[in-house]
Order: sequence, then structure tokens, then C-alpha cells
Amino acid sequence: MSDDPAPPPTRSGPRISEDWAATVVGLLLLVLILSGVITKGVLQ
Amino acid sequence: MTTAEETPGTAAAAAEETPRNETDAVAPAAPPNLAWIGVGIVLVVVLGYATKYLDKNVPAWLADTGLARISKSVEYPIYAIAIGLLGNLVLTVTGLRDRLSGGFRTEFFIKTGLVLLGASINLSLLVTAAGPAIIQALLLISGVFLFTWWFAGKLGLEEKLRALLASAVSICGVSAAIAAAGAVRARREQLAYAASLVIVFALPSIFLLPYLADVLGLSDAVAGAWIGGNIDTTAAVTAAGALAGESALKVATIVKVTQNALIGFVAIALTAYFAFKVERSESAQRPGAIELWRRFPKFVLGFVAASIIGTWYAKTAAAADNTAAQAVATNLRTWFLIFAFVSIGLEFRVRSLREAGWRPVAVFAAATVVNIVLALALASLLFANFTV
Repeated sequence: MSDDPAPPPTRSGPRISEDWAATVVGLLLLVLILSGVITKGVLQ
Repeated sequence: MTTAEETPGTAAAAAEETPRNETDAVAPAAPPNLAWIGVGIVLVVVLGYATKYLDKNVPAWLADTGLARISKSVEYPIYAIAIGLLGNLVLTVTGLRDRLSGGFRTEFFIKTGLVLLGASINLSLLVTAAGPAIIQALLLISGVFLFTWWFAGKLGLEEKLRALLASAVSICGVSAAIAAAGAVRARREQLAYAASLVIVFALPSIFLLPYLADVLGLSDAVAGAWIGGNIDTTAAVTAAGALAGESALKVATIVKVTQNALIGFVAIALTAYFAFKVERSESAQRPGAIELWRRFPKFVLGFVAASIIGTWYAKTAAAADNTAAQAVATNLRTWFLIFAFVSIGLEFRVRSLREAGWRPVAVFAAATVVNIVLALALASLLFANFTV
């Protein structure tokens, strides 16, 4: 992808799946909205 | 990037490095640095606020000028992508982009936004649209995948790049390319190249398809099914759907989510094909249900769950409460989509395209044309009498 030499692989250990993270955050926000905890949007 | 044969051992190393999300796929491998990631996220948020500010104020600024009509038709996805591209230019010139790229979480932002969008889609719409969406997805994926695979073979592209390009253009862009890269053990630069092609072709589609849908006089449902079936990457589908209108956005999202859900099957088919046909490994094991689950995009579950919760709430809560809650959910959803569209602009890269030569670009362009025509035909046929 780049002209620079590729750095050695450095990723290790567990990584958070963005799929799961998005699902949890999206549903959590929805529950907070429907239960009345979040009652206003941002810069509406 | 080249399409030259790999040296022994490279494939295994590449497979270990194969990125698992869209941000990593288009960005160079770099050590994760939480501070820089944080700065990248803050930048996305700041540019998101700039987007909202422009979306709110530009029509008023230009109200008494000759640009008043145009300014009213320009919506937040256009401001967000334009601001992202501008930020991209500044970061590239200052040499900061690669350091900050860990914060440009397009995949997270778009999927969170889509889960929230699920809350506004009545379950009955989801169920009604699922039938034609599945038929369209199966026919479209099969047709476009096989054409791309065949045409890339005619032009002499390497097998793994063929698999990546065919998956990316036929299913759902970068996510599908990532799944295919893992399945066929593609090299990182092959994935980066396929991801770059997806984004290069998706950007003009965001503006072109809603415009053509309007010119062709397509109904909201057909326009949404066309956009969702044709544009490769989920974020771009959402941007184009948002430009085409709320009803078109809902259908486009259902169609795209259906295609997303089929990634796992294609990845498993590719894994088996490369293990038993291309690389002919005797020790290869048949991929099973666990692999299918591993490849399944989990946010689809969140999207369906949000639709169920939203439908239940609409039936049980007072109408005023439901309207107020939907307004807040729509507001937050729009923010996540703005962050995703800003990230699309910030992540845009063309460097690897210059290194690959004309043949993969020709394959992708031809496949895109086939995709546009086939998706329009299928959407017109399957969604002709569909009402949102």
C-alpha cells in the first residue's frame, strides 16, 4: 500500500470486533433512549 | 503492488497479518498507539461538527444568491465526505495521516448508525422486504462474482486477486474483500489494493446513483434496492440512500444488510476452493459452521434486534413518546453516519492504485458496469410493486 518498507507485524493479543462493538453500542443507546435516560439529541 | 507469484511462506505470514476490519484494510500496518488513535477520533468528531454546522447554515448563507437551490439540495453526506477529503489532503501534506488513521473507524461508526437505523424500520417492512432482497442478493452476487472471476481470468490476474476483486464488487466492498482475503490467504497489499478500488469506485456512485434514480423516475423502493444492490461498500450505500431519501435509505439498508449476511457463505466457498483446487493441500479441512459464524457480520443481529425493539416500542408506548424517542434515535444515528462519511474521506487513498497497472482497474470498472445494469434490472423486477 505504501512505498515505505513494511514494519514488522506488531498486533498481538485479543482485539475487539468492531462488529460486536457497534452492535452493543447501538443497542445500548437504543435502550437508553427508549427508557428515557437519553431524551435529547445533539445539536438538533 | 504486483500480481507476481508469492515466495514460499509468504502466504502464511500474510494470512496472519490479514486485517480484520475496514480501517486496517486501507491503512498501512503500523503499531497501534492509543494517543494517536484518540487524536484521530477527536479529529473525526470535530470534522463531524463542522459538517453539521455547514449542513445547518449554508442554505441560510446562500438564500439570496443564485446558489440557493443547489445549497438546499446538498445534504450532510456530501459535506461530510468533502470535509473528510479536505482533511485527508491536509493530513497527507503534513505527514500525519498514517499516525491518526487508527481513529478513522468507518466500520464502527457506520455499523452503529445502522443498528440505530434498525429501530426506525418496522419489523413488517423488514420481513416483507427480506424475500425480494434475498432473491436479488443471490442472483446479483452470483452473476457479478462469476463475471468478475471470468473477466479477471481473461486478463491474466492472479487467482487470489481475482477472488478479492470478485468478492468486493459482488458482495459488500471492503468487508467482503477482508473475508475473501482471510479465506484465500491473500497478501496484505492485495487487500489494500482491492479496498482502494472499492472506495475509488464507491465515491462517485454515492452521488451518481441517487441522481440517476431521480432522472429515471425510479420509485423509492426500486431506487433503494438498486443503490443497496449495486454500491459495494455499506457506508457508501448509506450515504447514497440518505441522499435519495428516508424511504430509499431503508430499502437500500435492508438489501445491503442481506448481502452482508451472505459474506460467510462466499468466504467458506472460497476457502474450500483454494484449499482443495488451487493450493491442493492434502491436510486441508472442510470449513464448517464455526467458520460460517466467524465470518457472519454480527451487526446484522443488532440491526434486526433494533427493528424488533423499535416495533415493540411503537406498539406499546404512547404515540408522543414513540415520536420523541424516534427523533432522538434518528439524531444519534445521523451523527454516527456523519462520523462514518467523514472517515471515508479521511481514509481515501490512491497510492496503491498507481502501482497495480491497468488490468485490475479494467476488471473492476467492467464488473461495476455489469453490477449497475444487473442490479437495476433485478430491483425493477423484484421491487416494482413494493411500498415502503
